[in-house]
Amino acid sequence: MTTQEVSAVFTPLRKNWWLWVKENLFNSWYNSLLTVVLGTGIVYALLAALRSLFGFDYTILRVNLTLLMVGQFPRDMLWRPWLSGYLLVAAVALAAGLLKAQAQSKAEQAGLPFTKTRPGDVLRRGWPVLVLVVILLSLTQTITPTLLTVGLLAMGIAAYFLGRVIPARGRRLAWVGVVLLVLGGYLALAAFGGRGWSQWGGLHLNVFLTIAGIAFAFPLGLLLALGRRSSLPAIRTMSVTYIELVRGVPLITILLFAYLAIGFLLPENLKPSPITRILIAITLFEAAYIAEVVRGGLQALPKGQVEAGQSLGLPAWKTTRLIVLPQALRHTIPPMVGQFIALYKDTTLIQILGVLDLLNVSFIINTQPQFLGQGLFILTMSFAALIFWVGSYTMSREARRLEKKLGVGER
Amino acid sequence: MTQATVYSDATHAKGEPIIELIDVDKFFGDFQALKDINLSVGLQEVVVVIGPSGSGKSTLIRCINRLEKHDRGRIVVDGIELTDDVKAVQAIRRETGMVFQQFNLFPHLTVLDNIALAPRQVRHASKAEAEATAMQLLERVGIPEQSRKYPGQLSGGQQQRVAIARSLAMKPKVMLFDEPTSALDPEMIKEVLDVMVELAKGGMTMIVVTHEMGFARAVADRVVFMADGQIVEVGTPEHFFTDPQEDRTKLFLSQIL
Repeated sequence: MTTQEVSAVFTPLRKNWWLWVKENLFNSWYNSLLTVVLGTGIVYALLAALRSLFGFDYTILRVNLTLLMVGQFPRDMLWRPWLSGYLLVAAVALAAGLLKAQAQSKAEQAGLPFTKTRPGDVLRRGWPVLVLVVILLSLTQTITPTLLTVGLLAMGIAAYFLGRVIPARGRRLAWVGVVLLVLGGYLALAAFGGRGWSQWGGLHLNVFLTIAGIAFAFPLGLLLALGRRSSLPAIRTMSVTYIELVRGVPLITILLFAYLAIGFLLPENLKPSPITRILIAITLFEAAYIAEVVRGGLQALPKGQVEAGQSLGLPAWKTTRLIVLPQALRHTIPPMVGQFIALYKDTTLIQILGVLDLLNVSFIINTQPQFLGQGLFILTMSFAALIFWVGSYTMSREARRLEKKLGVGER
Repeated sequence: MTQATVYSDATHAKGEPIIELIDVDKFFGDFQALKDINLSVGLQEVVVVIGPSGSGKSTLIRCINRLEKHDRGRIVVDGIELTDDVKAVQAIRRETGMVFQQFNLFPHLTVLDNIALAPRQVRHASKAEAEATAMQLLERVGIPEQSRKYPGQLSGGQQQRVAIARSLAMKPKVMLFDEPTSALDPEMIKEVLDVMVELAKGGMTMIVVTHEMGFARAVADRVVFMADGQIVEVGTPEHFFTDPQEDRTKLFLSQIL
């Protein structure tokens, strides 16, 4: 391709689309040939994909939906994941409402414009999630999950508006409520004869490992990032060594190593469960990456900010806590979400340790006698891929939105 | 290098000396930024430091609150000698306010929180107390109506006035100004200088690095001229501007006046 041709490809679509097609797809005999051959292939592939998608018998997903979602969680205890879901959605919605209300009062005090979230925005931003929920519900065998989901949605909306209307004085208490709800979300699954995370599986396990992994790795990564910039050589060297060592090794190696090494090193009665070992490995791995993300944020901060803190007589740790970190972490939100997405997908690696996560379940249900050898791999893998795509895409979209919003008002 | 010219009436600080620099040297690698600096500043005195860029003016005042560490000599502020001892450094920083060329306000905090932060965190003032003081200071610098805004919403001149208020909130005994008007648009310089003049009249001890000769003439008790890391000439404004002794000073003044 010559430069002219390259630039032609990137010129915006003209009003006369036929002219565009002629200029870009049929401008020479070989280009015309390529267009015809590739075009036929693409159309054929699309048709085949569509036909097989509709031609598939979805029984394999219908029968195994619970397995795909929550693994081998005892079937007589399925109310527990639902209750947990209710509590967690309540926590997230309440937190979102509180954040929005806080942003609003801040903006109003400062005289800055503030845009309310409209239902249309939520639809535009959340359509992949909604589509996925509809697909999942279409695969259920009773009406109960649909009713529960509608209830979940209603409760989420209620919690959001509760967060919006709680007066400023009550917000601190409401945040305590958020924490309690999250805690309740775990206890609903584990406490009083339930099942702890060691016995979780399916999509639930992937999501849990992602969130818990980041939650545990974040404080560690923060310390490592600060350690890397420390003026004490011993701490600096240790931090750099750890970060570079871990970043130089694939996650799968660390997973295997943690899994086996912890098994060897600890006596039988102290051995953590496989999933706990996996969580430890993920935490140690992610901490190194988060440290580098945080370091980027720290480096972006002008030196004058620290000097201003110092000149006011603030001790070093208060300068860090009150001036450096609030600004630096704000800048790290977008790359941090990227890390989050990467981990979400990386959690599928744990299947090499024989854990029944979503991908592993999607794989092994094909070996069930009634589905064996029916070529349903494409279906089950597409299903798993769709679920991961929806999560990752939504996160990355929200990250981009945040990126745009940051730097407005408070800069 | 010859001994710096020091006029007989300018040898000693006006009041009790509160800042003393004795034989101070400062290096950045091989480059000597400060050479054999001797300066004593008295209580309630206003000292203006001028000189060409790269002459060490900023380094000089940044050494006084330990944003830079001096390599030789002694620096004593309010009876406390600057050493590696963190407590001494903290004590001196509490007594010393600093205003920067780039304002360095905290962009994530409102104007009010910018000012109230240090009194609350360092002096352990209550929230109400710190905010009341902050509002008084904002009145004093003439922008109480901006208290709930963020620094990014203010003009440069307003930001610098907030920065001055932020430093004053710690009730410092000494104020250091590092080219406070150099980053401002011309029409905003006056509003900041007015605040500084008012501060000087109120008896604040000040060391001001600036290119504002009008300010130096009107407010300074002594003018210090620096070049190549050394103090070349020290004198009262009348002497300094009308009858400079050193060739280096004459050259500089001829270039800027």
